[in-house]
Amino acid sequence: MAEVAEKGSNALFVDFVLLLRDYGVPASPKDLLELNAGLVKGIVHSLDDLFVFSRLVFVRRVEHMDAFERAFCFYFYGIDVPAVAEDDYALFHTKQFREWLEEQIASGELPRKAIWHYDPEELMKKFWDTLKEQMEEHHGGSKWIGQKGNSPFGHSGNAERGVRVQGQSGNRSALKVIGDRRYIAYSDKQQLREENLRQALESMKHLKNEGPRDLLNLNKTIYETSRNGGEIELVFERDLRDKISVVLLIDNGGYSMTPFAEITRILFSKLHERFEDMETYYFHNTVYEKVYSDFRRLRAAPTEKILQKREDTRIVFVGDATMAPEELESWGGSITSYGGRAQKPSMYWLGRFADRFKHSCWLNPIPKESWPNTYGAFTLTKIRQCFHMEDMTLGGIKGMVNFLSEK
Amino acid sequence: MQEYTFDGTDEYYLDPELKSIVNIALAMEKPLLLTGEAGTGKTQLALQVASALKMKSYIMRCKSTIKGEEACYTQDTVLRLNDARFGPADTGRVVDRFYDYVIWGPIGQAFRADEKVMLLLDEIDKTESDVQDNLLDILEECQFTIREVNETIKARIRPAIFITSNAKRELSDPFLRRCYCHHIAFPSPEDMRQIVDLHYPKTNAKLLEAAIAIFYELRERGFEKPPATSELLNWIGALERTGGIPDPKLPPLTGILLKRAGDIQRYRSKGGAGGRSY
Repeated sequence: MAEVAEKGSNALFVDFVLLLRDYGVPASPKDLLELNAGLVKGIVHSLDDLFVFSRLVFVRRVEHMDAFERAFCFYFYGIDVPAVAEDDYALFHTKQFREWLEEQIASGELPRKAIWHYDPEELMKKFWDTLKEQMEEHHGGSKWIGQKGNSPFGHSGNAERGVRVQGQSGNRSALKVIGDRRYIAYSDKQQLREENLRQALESMKHLKNEGPRDLLNLNKTIYETSRNGGEIELVFERDLRDKISVVLLIDNGGYSMTPFAEITRILFSKLHERFEDMETYYFHNTVYEKVYSDFRRLRAAPTEKILQKREDTRIVFVGDATMAPEELESWGGSITSYGGRAQKPSMYWLGRFADRFKHSCWLNPIPKESWPNTYGAFTLTKIRQCFHMEDMTLGGIKGMVNFLSEK
Repeated sequence: MQEYTFDGTDEYYLDPELKSIVNIALAMEKPLLLTGEAGTGKTQLALQVASALKMKSYIMRCKSTIKGEEACYTQDTVLRLNDARFGPADTGRVVDRFYDYVIWGPIGQAFRADEKVMLLLDEIDKTESDVQDNLLDILEECQFTIREVNETIKARIRPAIFITSNAKRELSDPFLRRCYCHHIAFPSPEDMRQIVDLHYPKTNAKLLEAAIAIFYELRERGFEKPPATSELLNWIGALERTGGIPDPKLPPLTGILLKRAGDIQRYRSKGGAGGRSY
């Protein structure tokens, strides 16, 4: 193994590092040196060992884990795994799926216009089955996903380029491990769900207020005073428990929103200690003169009252922003309350929220990539003009926190 | 150089992947940072490695008040002042000798050891981030300086360093860069069976199966504090004592599994498994 590290492996691993960076894993030259040092020490005896070792070297944060596994899979096995979970409909938007579909149609495995012939679930299952088949038996076969299995790096290049595939290391094989996708729930592109709530919570903890500096730091005061030759120099800091208030407005109309309504509520309620106060209201599709303080939308609360809150209150809307255009823009547009033509359009209320609260943000469960061409694109774009919008992925939550913490 | 290989112990179930990770970290002499939910056995792992490889262990249990320096050493100025004023009597201390008044912290002790030892920094995320930054170079170079006398203490043999984090706070990038990081996922039901087996080898298999099934079912319900491994182990212990296989519809002694008042109320109002309401 030692001579391998000296001669052949550099080109191999430099490409790999570049690929990792493309996948969003922040790999550095220093990591590459570390990897080489390990190879010289003879830690790696098989591709599976290399998988475990290089993952230790390159991956620091659990949110990069899935990207690493996919990159490894692509580079060393030529299998291109899409960045979505197995039950995620976002699969249809991936390059891997489109290529697979084209190949399947070209080879006659699936009829032309298969997309109309099959249920989405069925098509999704077929895709993942092909992928798994490929992972189990990754030699030959005509069902490869991607360029007929030939990644630009070539899976047969393993041996030539220096990593010998030999010996059983008592470990589970790297491909098996990757196939489990254990870390996908933590990936930044992932939808918020129970498993990665913790990750989201970590980001949420950065949500802080810029309150007054009214806490005297005695130690620093003494230090600075002595430096100042005895002239008293008072050092004030912000109270660590500096608290902010949050109003959460959740769209819980329609089945599509139900799981997201619950998860957002959990997310914010876990942080209730950090907030001075937090109120949750519910609405259907969009906000009019009334919102509701209970999940079943029976106890009404005037929107006007929320609008009178302190200006630095953080307002978070959660909703898919998808509705009929008149619900948003027409007088008396609400489909649930019957205010008639006297009822102000929703846009009026949303506009007032945006004017009053600088820190207001809209969380949308629809993935960012689909915003321009989703069914509700019209109203979604309208609302986006009012509010900073993020999707409900871990990355989106981070974006929201950054936006809400801005001065 | 002596090689250290860890193979697990009969008290600790070691996932094969985790095993190779531990061994790589030992071979590369890098600190291993273990993250993961409470109850996934992070601290246990470090202690088991130490006991299996017959290393002495030095443990620093982090607190938010810790400043970093006291993990290396502290100087007992009060004692020295006292000795200077009233004499050290027959304690053998000499007021002029600085080192007589140094109290070594866990890092200091580990670096001064004559053999390979294990150093565990438990729950590092509880410390402030500047403390972590202070520890960076100390851990990387395995040395620190005693400011008062400007002398450097350097480890002759790099200790095996383990760091655990509950991810209460995110650790800084430079800190992560100096460690190998591994996130221990929550054990799957199969792994859990092995773990329970190690602790309760003689328990009725039916009871275990039922208990594990109920346990995972409860975990999936999204409680504020979902039950973890240690709670399951305690619960099985308690079930053993009361006897009888738990009824999935109305599991007994749930107070061992659920701790938060809110969770217990939610559990009661939603009823037993299957979402029945009572």
